[in-house]
Formats: sequence, C-alpha cells, structure tokens
Amino acid sequence: MSNSPLIQTLDLAKTYVTGDIETPALRGVSVELHKGEFTAVAGPSGSGKSTLLHLLGGLDRPTDGDIFLEGQAMSKLSKDQLAKLRLTNIGFVFQAYNLIPVLTVLENTAFVLELQGIVRAERIKRARKILAELGIEQYADQYPNRISGGEQQRVAVARAVVAEPAIVLADEPTANLDTATSHELIDLMRRLNQERGATFLFATHDSRLLDRVNRLVTLVDGLITGDEHHTN
Amino acid sequence: MKAAIRHIMRNRRRTILTLLAVLIPVYFLIFMFGFINSMMQDMFETATRFDTGHVQILAEEVKGSGSAMPLMRDTDVALAALASVDGIEWSTVRLDLPALASVGERTRTVYVRGLVPEEIDPVSNMSDRIVEGEFITSDSDGVVVGQELAELLDLTVGDDMVLLGVHPDTSLGAIRAPIVGIFNAPEATMGRSMVIASLATVRRLARSETVASAIVIRVDGVTGPWDTSRLDEVTAALSAALPAGYDVQGWLDLVPFVEAYMTILTPMLVIMAIIFFGLGALVVVNTLYLSVMERTREIGLILALGASRARVMGMVLTEAGIITVAGAFCGALVGVGLVWIVQAFGGIPLWGQMADYMKEMGITPVLNMNIRAIQVLLSAGAMTVVALLAAWLPARKASKLEPMEAMRYVE
Repeated sequence: MSNSPLIQTLDLAKTYVTGDIETPALRGVSVELHKGEFTAVAGPSGSGKSTLLHLLGGLDRPTDGDIFLEGQAMSKLSKDQLAKLRLTNIGFVFQAYNLIPVLTVLENTAFVLELQGIVRAERIKRARKILAELGIEQYADQYPNRISGGEQQRVAVARAVVAEPAIVLADEPTANLDTATSHELIDLMRRLNQERGATFLFATHDSRLLDRVNRLVTLVDGLITGDEHHTN
Repeated sequence: MKAAIRHIMRNRRRTILTLLAVLIPVYFLIFMFGFINSMMQDMFETATRFDTGHVQILAEEVKGSGSAMPLMRDTDVALAALASVDGIEWSTVRLDLPALASVGERTRTVYVRGLVPEEIDPVSNMSDRIVEGEFITSDSDGVVVGQELAELLDLTVGDDMVLLGVHPDTSLGAIRAPIVGIFNAPEATMGRSMVIASLATVRRLARSETVASAIVIRVDGVTGPWDTSRLDEVTAALSAALPAGYDVQGWLDLVPFVEAYMTILTPMLVIMAIIFFGLGALVVVNTLYLSVMERTREIGLILALGASRARVMGMVLTEAGIITVAGAFCGALVGVGLVWIVQAFGGIPLWGQMADYMKEMGITPVLNMNIRAIQVLLSAGAMTVVALLAAWLPARKASKLEPMEAMRYVE
C-alpha cells in the first residue's frame, strides 16, 4: 500500500433537514483509505455508514468538510463532473442488487463500459472475462429476473469491478443473501481484492463480512469510534 | 437502442396507447388532406372544364358603362395576341348573354351561353351529360337546358323556348329556339340558370355576327387548383400581348367562391391539426411521464453508475422517438391505405341532402380522395416533431433526478 491515500475525508459532516427538523448523520469524520484495502465501516443502524458511502461515492454532498479522491477535492466538482468521476473511479454494489431489468447479465455487466464509450467488441470481451472469473458466465444471456438473488449480486459485483475503478463501494452487499451465498460472495470479493488489487469499502453490520475484512472502521452516531487493522 | 426497444415492449399497453396518440392525428390529417384535395380538384375540374377555362380574355370593364359583362365587338385582335403566346393547350370563343327565357306561360331570367359545341365537347364531355334528347351542333338552332331549369319551366325536349336578349351592349334581340336536349349540370346554379346554344345562335340574339364575351383558354400542364405558376406566366404574357381595352383573368378570379374555400380550408386544416396534434402530444407527455415515474429507481441507478444527464435524456427521447416514428409511419400507412381503398372503389357516392349540397357547390356528390406525397410527409413529419417536443418534458424530468433520491423512490 502506498502512503498517499486513495480517499481522504476531512471533518466530513452531513445533516439531513426535513422541515424544521435537522438530523445529523455524520459529525466530523476524518478517515483515509488506501489502495488495495478491504475495509468495512460498521456500526448500528443510523450510525451514518450508508451516508458515508454515498458521500464518498459522490452520490450526495456533505454539509461540511471535504473528500479528496486521489488528491482531488470532490466539493469543487459540478454534478456532471461528479457523474464522470463515479463513472471512471467508483464501482457500486447496492443492497438490493439494482440491476437494469431490460438488460441481460452480460449487458448489465458491460453497461458501465458502454457509458465510458468503450467499443462494443471490447466491452463484451471484458464483461465476459469478469463473468467467467466470477463463475457466472453461463447466465450471460439471462435477464436478471431469471437468476437467483445471490447470482444477481454477483452480477452487481461484476459490474462494479469490470471497469477497474479506483474503489468499489458496497452498501450492505450481503444483507439480502443467505449464509452460504454470503460466504461465496465475500470469498469472491476477497479474491478480487487479493488477485486484482481491487479496493473495497463496505458499509455493513454483517459479522460474516466483518470477520473477513483487513480493516474495520466503527461509526457510532456519526462519529468514528474505532479503526482497527486485521490480518486476514 | 436495444434497451429502448425492450423498454417499449415491457409495457405494451402503454406503448400501444402512445403509438395510437401519434397514429390517429397523422391518419386523420391524411384523411382530411385526401378529402379536401379531392373536393378542390373536383371544384377545379368543374369550374375549368364547364365554365371558366384556366384563363379568359375579356373586354375590359368600363366603370359607368352600365355593364358588368362587357362584350368584345370582335375577337380578331384578341385571337392574334393569343396566337403569339406559348403554352396554350386549347381555346374557344364564347358569348354569354343575360336573357329572359319563356316556355309557355313561364318565364325566367337565364344566361344564354353561345359556344362552339365541337370545340367545347372534348374538354367538358357535355354531350355525355345529356339525359334527354341530344347535344347541339354548330349549325343547329336548338338549345339545351339544365334539368333544374327544365323542372322550373316545366319544359320537355321538343318544346320551343323564346329568348329575349337583354344585354346593355346590344340592342334587344329575340329568337325562338327548339329545346333539343336536357343536361345534368355539374353545378346546381348552372342547371337552374343556363341555356346553351351554338355561338351563331346566340350571336343572332345579340344581333351581331362578331360579338363575343370571352375567349376561354386552357393552359398546358396545369393539373390542379394549387398549380398556379404556369397560369401566372400565361396571364402575364397575354396581358403584355393584348392592347388596351382587354382584360385577362384567371379561373380563381372568375369563380371567387372557390378561392374563398381554398383560403378558408388552409387555416381550418391548421386548426384541426393543432387540436389533434395537441391531444396526441398530451397523451405522449402523459404516458412518458408515467414511464419515467415507474422507472425512477432504474434511472437513479443509471445516474448513480455515472451516466450523464444528457445520456438519460437521450434514453427517454430515443424511446419516444421509436414510438413516434413507428406511430407516424403506421398513421401514414393507414391514411394512404384508406385513400387507396376509396380510390379503388371509384369513391363513395353520397345521397340525400349532402349530395344536393355538394352539387350546389359544384362538387360531384361522390366522396373521393387523393393525396400528395408531400402532404403525407408533412402530416407524419409534423406529428413526429410535436410528439418529440412533448417527450422533451418527461425526458428532462428524468435527467434532473437526484440519483440517491431516485433509488429510494417507492412507487
């Protein structure tokens, strides 16, 4: 791991306002993430895990503080620049799989490459390669509703890593999966981390996943209360 | 594109509704164009073949002379000028005189039209319109009258008609002429008021062997009411070739009610198009809004993955474009198909009051249709543009969604 952080947050704060009610989700979070890390942000519900992931992914704007991705301040980017940054630097895995129902598994996987403007032959080649690597090549021509939840989440992981982003942000990726499928998915992501050097950041309270990460950041009430490095 | 087609196929009922919203206005407009074209063409044919020709050379009206239909003392100068102009397909000399027509006890005001039957018949097929008796010839003294006039004067073929010429440019003249035929006039007014005789006969009534009221001309290559460029050229050439004292008028000047119809029809069509296109556009906006609402989470995901707003807008517009183009194409197909079927059956004959009304207007009481390619393209093209403009609103809404809010959206 290099010394310069891949992502750095400085006093990151986010407060949601509904009418007159202000709900602080993050209250000054400063953290550094390095390339190749396999990190989880853990904490009880409402601790600000998902909010942190959304801010890091450029899906939302902080109320205060800033995020630096490879040294670039995200607060200075316009909406379109943020979209471009998400497209080229960040892979997402969501709790509810979130595949596009009218696209096949192969097309879903290649979708980010299509958005990047990569030619069809190249994106098909790369999508097939990652599907084969994740053991789901046989579903390439199936639509998402024809495969199981675990398989759909594998496709979501394939889509997240196919463009080789700087970091994959995964929000409760195992929450909807049974134990065996969860283990398979965690193994798969760990393998991508070790073999490809892909950087993962999870928001989770799933112990099956927490046991496998090499760094655990704990959030409580929008503040970091722990930051442990493990050897896995 | 593939994804857009799959989206379209996903909700077929809504797709069909959107398709119909585009199809119906296109089909309707083509139908209206077909009907109006045919009606105008019919009016044009009736007017130019039976009455006005394309252009007429007339004696210039002198204000205060007491005559709104001045006569030419002779036709030599006008015919010489006509011979010097290119592009003339056909011409004939005609003499129209106002007259009183009496048969037995009954009398009516009429126009006596003097013409050269052998010249007029190939253009108007007047002899085919004779329903009783026969058509006149140049050397016959007889007259033919319309069915309506025959009924009004209670006359029949073989009766004698006394005609009293009352044109202010001529001295009073009177002739007795046998009625040799009754014709089915293409227009009711003509049927009620016109007595047709040979030019020589009517000149006797006018007590002059050279007098004429018009030289009626048909111009080469004029095919319909909107075909005016050749007419303008010939009118200008004739005006230049004729000395003072003559006037050249086009058929629309001579039957101003046709021009009035043509003037009314265009804005009428535009208003109808606006109403139908507007309704179509509302349905397109509505169905696409529904589609965007239903796919809010999916659009949020696409934005989250890094799609630009322009890309999302393009996605919605592509879907709208596919449905719109398909709808416009189907509408054009249905419209042209209907026109083709009506043409294949030779039109749909009308009856009753509608038929009478159409004859009053000088239109054959047969619902016929013809359509021009440009009108099909215009109908389909205009609706496509309107529908795409309508689709822009939901497309913009989709592109403005915030990714996380959209992904949390619950229907």
